[in-house]
Amino acid sequence: MELIRKLFEDIRWGEYSLLALYISVLSGVVVGLQYDAAAPLYSVSTLDMLVPFGAYFRSLHFYSSQLFFLFCICHVIGIFSQAQSYSTKQWIILTATLPVALLILFTGYVLRGDATGFSAGMIAEAILLDIPYIGAPINDLFFSISDNGMKRIYLNHIIGFGLLWGWLAWSHVKKYRVAFSRHIILSTSILIFSIFIAAPFEPDHLGVTNINGPWFFLGLQELLRYLPPIVAGVIFPATLLLAIACLQRKHRKFHTLLYFVVAWLSLYTILTVIAMTR
Amino acid sequence: MTCPDAKNHSTAKRKFLLFCASIAALYPFFRFIGYSIPRKPRIIEIGNTLPAGGYHLGFDFVLFDSGEDAWALSRKCTHLGCTINFHEKDNILECPCHQSQFSMEGVVVHGPAKKSLPRYKVEKLKDNGGYIVTI
Repeated sequence: MELIRKLFEDIRWGEYSLLALYISVLSGVVVGLQYDAAAPLYSVSTLDMLVPFGAYFRSLHFYSSQLFFLFCICHVIGIFSQAQSYSTKQWIILTATLPVALLILFTGYVLRGDATGFSAGMIAEAILLDIPYIGAPINDLFFSISDNGMKRIYLNHIIGFGLLWGWLAWSHVKKYRVAFSRHIILSTSILIFSIFIAAPFEPDHLGVTNINGPWFFLGLQELLRYLPPIVAGVIFPATLLLAIACLQRKHRKFHTLLYFVVAWLSLYTILTVIAMTR
Repeated sequence: MTCPDAKNHSTAKRKFLLFCASIAALYPFFRFIGYSIPRKPRIIEIGNTLPAGGYHLGFDFVLFDSGEDAWALSRKCTHLGCTINFHEKDNILECPCHQSQFSMEGVVVHGPAKKSLPRYKVEKLKDNGGYIVTI
């Protein structure tokens, strides 16, 4: 067990995530040159079917973004012991990059404008609007799909959330430079993988009885079936974020928080599996 | 020479004023982004008259005609806003996200949705001229 832990910690997850981020940003710029937020569904269909190499660049953007997020999580787990020396403020700021990265990933899903993406966006909007007082302004700032289509989501996907992530992570990532030449296998794997595996796209069709949202959203989607949106969509996820933000060994309730995080993730996994089997 | 207490007090005061100014600056910002241009009613023409018991599925509405009466319902689920589909076999409208079900009149048959589907105004044109739906 100790050996596995050591091996896991020795993997340079941080570098991998930065590399995936570079590929994601570059391919995102390329995709953005053809993407039209005013006609998202049409635009993505065109990218996949008509634009030369459009499907490839979309796939590259999709999978590199997924990898970026997954590597980020592995990085947080891998450096957890070392990160105990961080101040509380540093730790809170750095852990806040995770939900922001997830938001970038989520808005990318929504921007597809297909059945899954559009529904996920509408659910997010409904959840926000359920928050008293501050819900509507937050929705106006980030989503507002009903009133503005994909305009604001697109703006936040490419600029707003990116800037926020950069602002939160800058003091940490500015120390590191990751060269493609040092990670040729990983870079090549992502570039080649995207040739063969297309990014998901699910156009709406008649008689569909079940839509499953993005993989990280499935547990939440399942919970929304039983609980009011503000509980399932706001309070429940917020408890995890708060627990992670306080998860430092110097905290006197460290073990309680750790058990809570593990229990939360286990419950979320069960909910995700239930949603997948529907 | 300034007393350290007075200096601290001045810094705290400045920070407080800055905080108040930031909050005040947020007001016009949120007023600005919260404004939606009033939407004109959208008028949709459907050229053909449906057979009695028939339906027409639009992008954001579904139109029914019983033969005597015609009505249109929103396709936006009242639970969380997903686009609902009509299942002709069971005469039921169902949301694919959480499987809320609605009758053809838009009334909730099965939750989690609690509210009925909004109805839109429908004008049935004479001589098999179709319909005008106002959304």
